[in-house]
Amino acid sequence: MSEATFDVMVGNKAAATAVKLARVEVMSAFPVTPQTTITQYLSEMVANGEIKGEFVNAEGELSTQVIVQSASRAGARTFVCTSGPGQLYMHHPMHGTSSSRLPVVMATVHRGNKSMQPDHTDLMSQTWTGWIQLYCENNQEVLDTTLMAYKLGEDKRVRLPVAIGYDGYVLSYTAEPVEVPSQKSVDDWLPPYEYESILPKDYDPATGGRGFGRGGRDPQQGWITHHEALLNALPVIKEINEDYGKVFGRKYGNGLTETYMTEDAEAVMVAMGSMAGTARAAIDNLQANGKPVGLIKLKAYQPFAVEDFQEYGKKFNAIGMIDRNVCLGHGGAGYRLIRNTLYDMDDRPKVLQFHAGLAGKEVRVGDLERVGEKILKAARGEKVSQVEWV
Amino acid sequence: MDELTITPGSACQGCGAALAARLAFKALGPNTIRHGIPCCPDSSTMTPRGGGGVFEGGGAALTGTWRALKAKGITDVNVVGFFGDGGTYDIGLQGISAAAERNENVWIITKDNEAYMNTGNQRSSSTPLYAMTSTTPVGSEIKGKQTGKKNIPMIFAAHHVPFVATASVGYPEDLIAKIEYGKTLHGFKMLIIQSPCPVGWRYDPAKTIEVARSAVQTGIWPLYEITDGEKFKLTYKPRELKPVTEYYKPQARFRHVTDEQLAGIQEDTTKNWEKLLKSDELGQLLV
Repeated sequence: MSEATFDVMVGNKAAATAVKLARVEVMSAFPVTPQTTITQYLSEMVANGEIKGEFVNAEGELSTQVIVQSASRAGARTFVCTSGPGQLYMHHPMHGTSSSRLPVVMATVHRGNKSMQPDHTDLMSQTWTGWIQLYCENNQEVLDTTLMAYKLGEDKRVRLPVAIGYDGYVLSYTAEPVEVPSQKSVDDWLPPYEYESILPKDYDPATGGRGFGRGGRDPQQGWITHHEALLNALPVIKEINEDYGKVFGRKYGNGLTETYMTEDAEAVMVAMGSMAGTARAAIDNLQANGKPVGLIKLKAYQPFAVEDFQEYGKKFNAIGMIDRNVCLGHGGAGYRLIRNTLYDMDDRPKVLQFHAGLAGKEVRVGDLERVGEKILKAARGEKVSQVEWV
Repeated sequence: MDELTITPGSACQGCGAALAARLAFKALGPNTIRHGIPCCPDSSTMTPRGGGGVFEGGGAALTGTWRALKAKGITDVNVVGFFGDGGTYDIGLQGISAAAERNENVWIITKDNEAYMNTGNQRSSSTPLYAMTSTTPVGSEIKGKQTGKKNIPMIFAAHHVPFVATASVGYPEDLIAKIEYGKTLHGFKMLIIQSPCPVGWRYDPAKTIEVARSAVQTGIWPLYEITDGEKFKLTYKPRELKPVTEYYKPQARFRHVTDEQLAGIQEDTTKNWEKLLKSDELGQLLV
């Protein structure tokens, strides 16, 4: 990839740069901290003619989602972005975007609901809308994942909207070196989007149908089809990640999860988003001190890599999930999925729950070393507490 | 002009809104994308629609469709929202106001039946003073709605958009002429069509046209158009207004209204009409 260039940029600029490279035709956003500067970068790119699309500065997040939904239905490649409260305000039409199977791409720059600082509650709260959710560790991954999201969402085997989550401030406003692929290489890899309904004609309002559940049809069919589409996306995410790696020289594990220093590990911690970066440093220190703890980075939260985790369940004696979220009264989102995934195994590993970094609480390398030590104890048969707030 | 609305939809007998849809889409022609929001607008017109939609998202849905077409270089399609008074006056107002301010090249066509009729006649901000609805009932202490109707055409005129007009299903030629004129304009266009609802307003379904005409002839629902937020024209000017009682008496939603209250309504209606007449003479909207 000799034509690629390097730049030092904040996460929000990495997202905007990917939108430009993807030749997005309709964008809409309402400024909300810490997503705000994406709207400014996009406005500048449109004003300077670098992006030939329409950028609608709408009056609120709900409208931004409706705008990209109807633009996508009309055949345009679209982008929307938000954070925290804006994400919550946008919830209602997000259901329509996904159930209409429209490949909108959205960047969610995480901001907590109980603070300005990042946690994953904003995007986790959208789980039941049935979007694909991919979480990013660094700014390079933000740019690469945004490009992959268009390829993924527009794939006829998938046709779903894709949300890309990355932590506010930690990535949105922190500059890192980012390799930017050339426009030509992106054009060659990502063909223009063309709307083609993948729903049966009778079901698809866009082709004159009256929607699921009309005319005596099974009213649950809309849910079944949508659920299956998410499950069917699992191998396609892997395939696109491999392909991106071949063309652009970077890939992220198998696209769903990534392992770090797990070869001789007895125990693993699971981290998402920018915390995976902190975890890498903690793993380095732990292993340097003879403590065989590895890392699993969870990139695809929805759909969930059931097969991957069943493999991890065979290999490791304990898995500790670090959730930057809590489903109040239930527990962490990742923890519950992992426990559920391992239930059918005869010989299950221990699964521990850690809540960390909610409301932007600082998580240091030392904190995650301690987390790793605790998971290792559990792996070696010591009795430890099940749930911990770091 | 071809019929584009497939009849019958699932509208009630004597539905003013079904007629509004039929006339409007006939005038718009086949090169039209309709965004409907659920409930009465959908049951009263079976014209092909753009799909999706949430009550609060009418203005945004039209914006997205128009911008996508624009990005693709398609500029000769009418992008039309056929909404109710709920989707226009209330839950959808914010997004439609924003689309007006951005001067999106879209149509808002509202069949105004003055309450949330599909859910069973609950009041909206378009419900007129004293009207009985299922959420402004006639009780022993409070009788009907205690506040007046929101003046949505004037609110949108204040956005200085290319075209805002009122129409009535009782005056189809006027309605069609306004759509044909609006079609020649680029930018935001709004047409509020008063569409009597026999179920909610409680009159004989055979009388929809009579009730609609009486609203116009008494000055309760004047027909006018406003271009660029300032040029004003009354499109129906009777020599003399009929008394408002002619409009109020046949509708059981107003049965409890006292003579004293009617006198007040008459006074307000006359005052408003005189103001509109002055604007019409000047050709300039006086506010």
